[in-house]
Amino acid sequence: MDVDESQLKDFKLKPMKCEFNVLSKSDGSAILSQGETVVIVSVNGPLDIKMQSQSIEKATLEVLCCSKGGKPCVADRYKENIIKQTCDAALLSNQYPRTGITITVQELEDCGGLLPCSLNCACLALINSGLAMRCVFAAVTCVVDEQGDIVLGPSKEQLDTARAVLNFVFDSRDKSLMTGFTEGSFSEDTYKEAMERCRVASDLVFAFYRDIVKQYSKIIA
Amino acid sequence: MADVYKLIHPVKFCNDYLSRNIRPDGRSFKQPRSIKINVDSIKTAEASAVVKCGNTAVVCGIQLELSPPKAEEPNVGFLVTNVELPALCSSKLKPGPPSDQAQVVNNIVSDIVLNSKCVDLKDLCIVPDKLAWVLYCDIVCVDNDGSLVDGCIIALMASLKTLSLPKVSYDAETEEIKVDPKSRTKLEIHSFPIVTSFVVYRLNQSNIILADPTAYEEDICGGSGTNLIVCYNKGLFCGTQKFGGSNLSKDCQDDALKTAKERANIVENIIDVCIRNHKNSSINE
Amino acid sequence: MKVTIEDVVLPSDQCEEIVKAGESGRVILGPGLRKEIDGVFIVKAGVLKKRSPNTYWVESYQKRYVPSRSENVIGVVVQKAGDIFRVDIGGSCTASLSYLSFEGATKKNRPAVKIGDVVYGKMLNASKDMEPELVCVDSDGKKNYMGVLEDGFMFKCSLNLIRKILNPKCPLIASLKNEWPFEMAAGMNGRIWIKANSMRETIAVGNAILGSEYASNEEIKSMCNNIASILAGHNS
Repeated sequence: MDVDESQLKDFKLKPMKCEFNVLSKSDGSAILSQGETVVIVSVNGPLDIKMQSQSIEKATLEVLCCSKGGKPCVADRYKENIIKQTCDAALLSNQYPRTGITITVQELEDCGGLLPCSLNCACLALINSGLAMRCVFAAVTCVVDEQGDIVLGPSKEQLDTARAVLNFVFDSRDKSLMTGFTEGSFSEDTYKEAMERCRVASDLVFAFYRDIVKQYSKIIA
Repeated sequence: MADVYKLIHPVKFCNDYLSRNIRPDGRSFKQPRSIKINVDSIKTAEASAVVKCGNTAVVCGIQLELSPPKAEEPNVGFLVTNVELPALCSSKLKPGPPSDQAQVVNNIVSDIVLNSKCVDLKDLCIVPDKLAWVLYCDIVCVDNDGSLVDGCIIALMASLKTLSLPKVSYDAETEEIKVDPKSRTKLEIHSFPIVTSFVVYRLNQSNIILADPTAYEEDICGGSGTNLIVCYNKGLFCGTQKFGGSNLSKDCQDDALKTAKERANIVENIIDVCIRNHKNSSINE
Repeated sequence: MKVTIEDVVLPSDQCEEIVKAGESGRVILGPGLRKEIDGVFIVKAGVLKKRSPNTYWVESYQKRYVPSRSENVIGVVVQKAGDIFRVDIGGSCTASLSYLSFEGATKKNRPAVKIGDVVYGKMLNASKDMEPELVCVDSDGKKNYMGVLEDGFMFKCSLNLIRKILNPKCPLIASLKNEWPFEMAAGMNGRIWIKANSMRETIAVGNAILGSEYASNEEIKSMCNNIASILAGHNS
């Protein structure tokens, strides 16, 4: 499916703001706001872990999601699984065998799109931690509204009234799909179109990452 | 000999098979395993089904309960799914509280059921603000040999299809509830979600997809958490999930969607035939 | 994405210059670069650097130490196990330090090392699959400033700060060393040990080092002057 590139020129994702190294004691941390949704992520590792959870060929990844209420629930396990599998695919974890890497995600404010925001923030925290990565990734959300139109970077109202919500995570290497999860029903064509649009939009997220790294690269050199 | 080879060179073992366009268990890439369904096999449950997809065996039972609806949604009943992965279904699981995997599978199953709106929760309401049905759908995996979500959804849908609700009369003044188990109405099923799992395998710099993977194939491709799950609901999509693992190229995706669509039709027919056979045999008795 | 030298890079970027250089001769890939079947990829975010003729690396930010060979590190002895000491160097597992790898140590003449001692040593080998090994002698059997660090004060910082202050272009050490006497050891694992005559002077050095993390060369110079004058004011 071809997407008209010119249409996408004037399209914008929700404004993103990020700060690196917000936590002094963790090995890598980032705070990210996408629109009104704010998440803080801390990465620690490679660490020494229990013998039984060590893997001889790669680092063991552990993800902990804390919601604002603080009460763990089944939905948190689901989020943890998504973040874990995605980070696992992005990290070169075979560089750190027999060690553990812990990623802690703390929700600060949820105004829709918490999970994509958490994924992007986790990626930024991993960049900050200096762990070897195969690629970076960008999570993009879009909704299919009542009229059947595809809206990128939806607001909270749009998320609530949407017919379907589609989330995609793309790899920076060849823009292929790493992770995808959807809610609601939609046709196959809609799915493909939404995916192509999100794929193009993921460039904005990657550009944002590069911008952030550029800002703090001054202190590296 | 093959076992030793498999143990020493797990990747090469798999590559040898797949580069010859066949899977280690003899299937072709997009060929799902055979499905066996038996409905209404548990007499103590209101509705039940036992499903076997290859070696994966799943039992689903539905219990009914009455409860007042939530205050914020007075005309809506409840559908609660619970997926159990006891230690007996796989050597990787340990006895104890529900494992992370069980919780993740449960979340996916309940998302699919609610997203597809196969049961209109308003149908479960008896008297608004006073009384509604609660459907407790307990799904127990007896043998986990991959593609667990497929099995869970098939078992759940087959059970829901055979479920009938007894007539309930509610006296608003005395708040007396009378249940008449003799006269029953069938629960209306509005849609029919069917799930197909895939794994993405990286073979010589290109990706291939394997439909309905076994536990061994899931392990080789990065664990059961990384499956690509495609759900079709009468020709419409009602969810795709893919978490990490190898990346999915466009060709693979198109292939997967096509395979899933075909399989959805077949599975739907299987369930229908199975329920019809069951009805015929119970009438004959 | 294609990048060139001195660009800001992200993981999965590729640099054509490296590939071209690789066709004509040997190339040394430093940290942050990785060769795969289909080319050389960047695996860390930072700035791509080159040293002529053929060395490339990515300068990145990192706090956690990953042991690598022949780096000087500062560790804390956490355990004595028979012939070896286990030393915490801030990596994922402790490094081993044989009691024979001290200057003049023999089976009879054991070095006096206690649990809790701070040692300055060199990584003898550091492979990701094996326990890292530390030595406190050079190849001639001389101690060469290494060994147990007596007294003093040790603190942690990011790995970049160590690289920054050890850079010959950095004015920090140059401007501090003439102000008052102190000893210092910088471990590549993000640990710094300092020893000065008084507590006040020790704290002054420590603050000067930590304060220079985000400062430019001019700022570092003026900060050092500032600290020196404050210290002089207190002493007089």
